[in-house]
Amino acid sequence: MDKTILEVKDLSYFVREKKIIEDITFSLQKGGFYSVVGTNGSGKTTLLKSISNIIEPTKGKIKINGKNLNKFSPKLLAKEISVVWQHNEFLFDFSAFQIVMMGRMPYQKLLQADSKSDLSIVEQSMNKTSTWHLRNRSIKQLSGGELQRVMIARALAGQTPLMLLDEPISSLDIKHQLDIMELLRKINKENNTTIFIILHNLSLALKYSDNTLALKEGRLVHFGNTKDILNKENIKELFDVEAEVIDGENIIIHHQ
Amino acid sequence: MKDIIWYCILGFLVLFLMFLGVFWGSVDVMNFDENSLYIIQKIRLPRVIMCVLCGAGLAVCGSAYQAIFQNPLSDPYILGVSSGASLGASIAIVLGLESVFFGVGGFAFLFALLTVWIIIRIASVGNKLHTTTLLLAGISINFLMAAIISILMVVSQENMSKIIFWTMGSMSGSKFSDIWIVLIFVFIGIAVIRIYAKELNAILTGTDSAKSLGVNVEKTKKIILLFSTLMIGVIVSYCGVIGFVGLIVPHIIRLMVGSDNRRIIPFSIFGGMIFMLLADILSRVLIAPSELPIGSITSLIGAPFFIYLLYNAKKQLNP
Repeated sequence: MDKTILEVKDLSYFVREKKIIEDITFSLQKGGFYSVVGTNGSGKTTLLKSISNIIEPTKGKIKINGKNLNKFSPKLLAKEISVVWQHNEFLFDFSAFQIVMMGRMPYQKLLQADSKSDLSIVEQSMNKTSTWHLRNRSIKQLSGGELQRVMIARALAGQTPLMLLDEPISSLDIKHQLDIMELLRKINKENNTTIFIILHNLSLALKYSDNTLALKEGRLVHFGNTKDILNKENIKELFDVEAEVIDGENIIIHHQ
Repeated sequence: MKDIIWYCILGFLVLFLMFLGVFWGSVDVMNFDENSLYIIQKIRLPRVIMCVLCGAGLAVCGSAYQAIFQNPLSDPYILGVSSGASLGASIAIVLGLESVFFGVGGFAFLFALLTVWIIIRIASVGNKLHTTTLLLAGISINFLMAAIISILMVVSQENMSKIIFWTMGSMSGSKFSDIWIVLIFVFIGIAVIRIYAKELNAILTGTDSAKSLGVNVEKTKKIILLFSTLMIGVIVSYCGVIGFVGLIVPHIIRLMVGSDNRRIIPFSIFGGMIFMLLADILSRVLIAPSELPIGSITSLIGAPFFIYLLYNAKKQLNP
């Protein structure tokens, strides 16, 4: 059985003449844990937005389970891919429960009320992310860590085989960063959800992801087993910093 | 279940205010003689029904605009859309086009839609709408429309009183034949907005976020803008510009029931009705037997409310 969930071929995205990403080719296997690393402006978010069909690539092909991305209706795609964004701006008050329930929208028709199965899936998702006790709290009153857990619960409620995350932990302290990564590992193992996460923290990428995509100036320069990719030479090439990998688990960056 | 009890209470309040609107005024109609019956049937009843329809339509439009523009300060009046509609109506009157292209209502709608297009063009940065620019665009459009309408009034003095009616809003000319048209458009408009309530909720969490939830954001925005602007065009062409209803009512409702549009819309219907009926009663009794334009009453309440909201929102607007 083919285990490929996502295929990206020769993907490019230009804004006028400027190449944001160029000729990116890779594929993801079902149940994998993938991290995406690279400097700011290396095209990570553009890649994520192309895969989730938020932006239309200039050229190239994206296939999900062998089917072209442009053949998916917005609802059908939302049943395959869920996204957790880095910034969540809430000018309006919703309860955490209402936000997670939005994850069920791809399964609901216009005007359809929340069904019993929607309610139980939302409860399960919130229990898994330890947010059920926050269900009646306003989304505006949650801490950064709590908010990201709620947003992950919303993605979980969509029951998608693939979850994309755009730097979900970059504004959190180290304890909450680790909590979120542990949660994602749990989701990856228990639900067999493929995780595709943009990370700035290389140690966390090394600790949690099986495979890594490294982007530089819009090109995919390395793709493979995380332990092979995140070595001293590649980190120097990607980020122009001196680094040391200790016991294959921790990365120490030396200040120049 | 709780909501239904609230709807009943609010429904009774609406009926009570309608009753008050019909029977309380500068002329005593409680003796039910021929003259009183004429006033009730031909003047006051159509007027309170028009109030109820416009109130519901304007309040729901306000909540729809706030969702579409992802901005709690949006309202068809503040964004200049109502002024645009009144300019369209004025042009139709001055040029004698009242029987061309659905008459005054058609022109009001076209100009309202044109205004929406202009403010979106001004305030768009990429696929985002800039909040401060959006409000400034609306305010500038209001200035421009006011200037053009003043010129039209001077140029076409015989139509001055009609045009003043459009710019200040009034329920005094309401007739049963008009009510049917307003009823149909308000009903359809509210129904469409209610159908997309869940999608509007998702849009309130951000465009990209809504897209990733499977919402066809562009299509939803177009449909909602089209139908809410159609409602505005029709309401303005029959009752003139009545400001701030769409700002005040959804705000108060949101404080009561939260941001879920599935609840905001039905509650806004009642809220809009109550607000308009109160404003209409005030407009008739404050300086009785003379009458104030209802638009000046809603603005008298609405403008300080807007300033208060702006004061509270300044941190969000200037991060």
